[in-house]
Amino acid sequence: MLENRNQTNRKLLPSLRSSGGILLIVLIALCGVLVLSLLLSKTPARTLRYFFLGPLQNTYYFGNMLNSATPLIFGGLGVSLAMRSGNFNLGGEGQIYGGALVTTLFAIYLAPLGVLGAIMALFIGASFAGALAGLSGFLRMKWNTSELITSFLISNAVVLVMNYLISGPFMDPSTSLIATRKIPDSFRLSALLPPSSLSTALFFALVAVVAVHAYLYKTKSGYELRMTGLNSRFAKYGGINTRKFIVLPMFLSGFLYGLGGGFAIYGTYFSAIKEFSAGMGWNGLAVALIAKSKPSAVIPAALFFAYIEAGARSAMLHSDVTFEIAAIVQSIVFFLISSEVLLTLFEKKRRNP
Amino acid sequence: MELAVEMRNISKTYVENNLRANDGVDFLVRKGEILCLAGENGAGKTTLMKVLYGLEGHEEGTISIHGSQESISSPLVANRLGIGMVHQHFMLVEDFTVAQNVLMGIEPRKYGLTYDMKKAVALVNEVIGRHNFSIEAGMVVRNLTVGQKQQVEIIKMLYRDVDILILDEPTAVLTEQEIEGLFSTLRQLAKRGKSLILITHKLQEIKAISDRVSVMRQGKMLGTYETHEVTERQISALMMGKSISLSIEHRIKRADSRPVIEGRKITVLRQGQQRPLLNALSFTAYSGEILGFAGVSGNGLGVLEAVLGGFIPIFDGKVLHNGADITNIGTALLRKQGLAYVPSDRLQIGSSLKASVQENIIVGESASFRKNGFLDQKRVTKHTNALLERYSAKATAQMPIGTLSGGTIQKVILAREIERYQDYIVFSEPTWGLDIASSQFVYEQIAALRDKGAAVILISSNLDEILTIADRIVVLYRGTRVASFSGDEARNLSKEEIGEYMLGIKSQGAPRA
Amino acid sequence: MQFTIPILHSAVTIMTPLLLASMGGLFTELSGMLNIALEGLLLMGAFCSIIFTHYTGSMVVGTVLGIGATMLLSAILASVTLNLKSNVFITGLATNLFASGLTVVLSFALFANKGVVVFDDIPSLPLLGTQALARIPIFGDIFIGHSAFVYLSWILLALSYFVLYRTPFGFRIRATGLHPEALSTLGMRPDRYRFASFLISGFTCGLGGALLTLNLGAFVPNITAGKGWIALVVIFLGNKKPFGLLIAAFIFGLADAFSNYAQGALNIPSDFILAIPYVFTLLAMVGSSIYAKKKGAIES
Repeated sequence: MLENRNQTNRKLLPSLRSSGGILLIVLIALCGVLVLSLLLSKTPARTLRYFFLGPLQNTYYFGNMLNSATPLIFGGLGVSLAMRSGNFNLGGEGQIYGGALVTTLFAIYLAPLGVLGAIMALFIGASFAGALAGLSGFLRMKWNTSELITSFLISNAVVLVMNYLISGPFMDPSTSLIATRKIPDSFRLSALLPPSSLSTALFFALVAVVAVHAYLYKTKSGYELRMTGLNSRFAKYGGINTRKFIVLPMFLSGFLYGLGGGFAIYGTYFSAIKEFSAGMGWNGLAVALIAKSKPSAVIPAALFFAYIEAGARSAMLHSDVTFEIAAIVQSIVFFLISSEVLLTLFEKKRRNP
Repeated sequence: MELAVEMRNISKTYVENNLRANDGVDFLVRKGEILCLAGENGAGKTTLMKVLYGLEGHEEGTISIHGSQESISSPLVANRLGIGMVHQHFMLVEDFTVAQNVLMGIEPRKYGLTYDMKKAVALVNEVIGRHNFSIEAGMVVRNLTVGQKQQVEIIKMLYRDVDILILDEPTAVLTEQEIEGLFSTLRQLAKRGKSLILITHKLQEIKAISDRVSVMRQGKMLGTYETHEVTERQISALMMGKSISLSIEHRIKRADSRPVIEGRKITVLRQGQQRPLLNALSFTAYSGEILGFAGVSGNGLGVLEAVLGGFIPIFDGKVLHNGADITNIGTALLRKQGLAYVPSDRLQIGSSLKASVQENIIVGESASFRKNGFLDQKRVTKHTNALLERYSAKATAQMPIGTLSGGTIQKVILAREIERYQDYIVFSEPTWGLDIASSQFVYEQIAALRDKGAAVILISSNLDEILTIADRIVVLYRGTRVASFSGDEARNLSKEEIGEYMLGIKSQGAPRA
Repeated sequence: MQFTIPILHSAVTIMTPLLLASMGGLFTELSGMLNIALEGLLLMGAFCSIIFTHYTGSMVVGTVLGIGATMLLSAILASVTLNLKSNVFITGLATNLFASGLTVVLSFALFANKGVVVFDDIPSLPLLGTQALARIPIFGDIFIGHSAFVYLSWILLALSYFVLYRTPFGFRIRATGLHPEALSTLGMRPDRYRFASFLISGFTCGLGGALLTLNLGAFVPNITAGKGWIALVVIFLGNKKPFGLLIAAFIFGLADAFSNYAQGALNIPSDFILAIPYVFTLLAMVGSSIYAKKKGAIES
């Protein structure tokens, strides 16, 4: 009996402790909101009220908040997968945007195929995004080029190319937006919480969480991926094909980002609008970092980020601050989230026997 | 007679891997003497010197320099107290000149701002001249030989007026002549009243250069002796510990014994180095036999291990498994072919410290635990627990393996590799760092494997271990096979004689078939 | 020849912020840190310099204060990276995100304007240039008629060379990047030199950013438009040496000036041109990894 309790303690306490660092960072970020409101707003109390409570006050705001969390869940899952294998995917911006555009174009093209067409378009778009990330993985596997940097560079170039494609060859002249034509009406996902934009894409995101969790912890491939990330020399020694697990996780990572983009189109935007996904890639990265690459923790982390953005929007609409305070708060999280010092602040130093 | 250094009761533990590197160590150095600090790899000698030089802290104990107690918190403090250290791996900036490296941190200035290069060269040349070294201050370090680079490291310290100089395995990378040059320099320095501490495990050199020798083993100081009063054999015995007098029955040659693993003229090169790491090495491992590879560490044992494990490619030659060519196929394929391998690096390669015991156990075999596409966790746990019990390992399946002791981790690794072996198994330094009981257990397992007909390859720098259980022994020196004996032959020789092969003094010429 | 001189002339002006940013980046690179915050630091310098100029009425004071603010940001970056032991790439991203957010937020708070903010009260930059420079054959006219920033950047480049190769401080910075243990085993702290290089990059980027906005008399959101990244390419291309930086920065300045001129003539979409530095850096990185792999291999 005693042994059981010791074992539980041994599992619970360390994970509480390591969450301590994360909670501290979240707390600091929220203090940032406080400071910004005090400094910039002539009515700080009102600003704070709308920042923290605004997103929760009615279905419109709340639904929109959940909706913006959806692509973040996909992105967070993607980056988490990559991190678990020991890789950094910093190309989310290009992968989401590129995946979304490709999905949109194929959705329009495959309209006659109905639901099958919708699924195929989504898959193709996600695969395109996966290939972008997979390319970085390949470069790392072959020549040990930092996938962190190459994924970033490729993404930047891709965003520019996508911008060109949307404002040029694929632009729909009939709308005032710089966007492509719309996807077939039958492809649109149903709304969950009108009048907000929340769609059933959220369900798919939750399914993705379950799927990624199951993959990581319950399949052979996921096991090998994790072992490669924890100690690649051990994995190689054990007979795991570590080269595969540099490229594959990056591909899956981009694929998930691409799904996020595709679902955003199917559920919210209905056509590829220029720069619609700006920032989603970075937020996905931050979500994964906060969640410490645990799929189940991606959901609260994504909600946190969506909450920050929704709060900023609400404060902007009802008070006198601008939306970009969200960027400042997010940058605070970014500054602190990879700090060895903060993350291990509450962890006990191991004692010697 | 004055004590230059007095370390009392020093204890230091590395928290990251629970390693008690120094355990209540006393260490005394007299003024003007050359003292060798000897011990096998992992004995704690480098740690002790890092403590002395301020690179590492210590939990217990005191240090006194020239009679007064000091707290040495950084190399700067050590320098100020007159202590210098020449590291095994050079701390030089290759792109800079000798003078620029020597004067790092104490650069001479013109007008207080600019680097007075001319003066720097002059100052360093002066010190070089005083000690008769062959280098010049203006040379770029990249263009120097290894021996010369070491001279730069020494000058770095001499320039700072150290009178206690620590040298960490200084001869590891030198040629014979360079070693002579180094030794004559050291003798000169000692004559001038400097105290020199040499960290080493090379018996010949201990006898050649030192006045006294202090021997460490597994974190403890065993004692200090006047060099002329001990033999190499006695030092070796102290370094390597009591011979484990196990009654392991030795093999009776069987008629059905067949070659399982064959190496033919294996050559491994490293870019930039003249000498091959393995030089046309040939051997045959038969079923039902323990083939032991002996040698001083650094002479090719680790490279052989890496080749057998599929970690490094070979430049020339072949490796055969039951006649099939398995040269350079890589670890994953070797595993599929039945490789079972207990590596010398238990913690970085043999296990994944952050993963659980069961995750460590099933690596490479996870496919066989699948049910309906998913891993059957219950079966994995059950399998793990059964193994843990069979090998008497005090652990449970779900705990992170990093929380276990070294001996237990080794048992888990053994359990995994022995369970999966098919017809051959490689052991490298299997009892390094283990206590007597665990070592006995390991030897019994190895003998049992042999009796079942396995071809066992044992790679070890611990000669006692080889002599205890090997049926046949191959001695490596600088990557070349210099001798082979049957187990009985070897046990009839003195360790000193075998040592002569290990140290390259003698060689059997053309290798036997 | 008639259009060549104006193009070369504007190339010199255009290349200056790039040169300044890459100079600072050179110090961080030589100290062993991949500094991608140059973009954010440039933006910070651009914004702060012009608003301080606006409020103090003096371009000199405004620039100095702008540089100070940028150095403060670089100090935060350095501190979080070195003292809190964070991943330098991620903190660099944080810096860029912070700068882009802060500039919009402040712009809105101070001027109720999130877009282009024109400052009428800022005079155009005085153009200088001695006759001595004009007498250089053929290309003399390129070197005169620039703002003080341009000439200052040349002086700073020479100074960078001097500091890096002729002072102990510069040697130690380079040692930090080449072999930090050479310093730490002698009791020095490599982190100190890394911190100093971050501050230097804050200084040069502050100055470079100031030129961007003061030259225009306005603040444009995202006025830096990837220059921070191009600065990294310049460092790579220039082989991490001061003189190389000058050449590489000039090449990019020239390309930019030329594309301004040939805007209508050639039909390459501007997005593609903007993408070039990223593709270029990517290729340079892959190339250098292949080279590094071939060098360090065990022969087989």
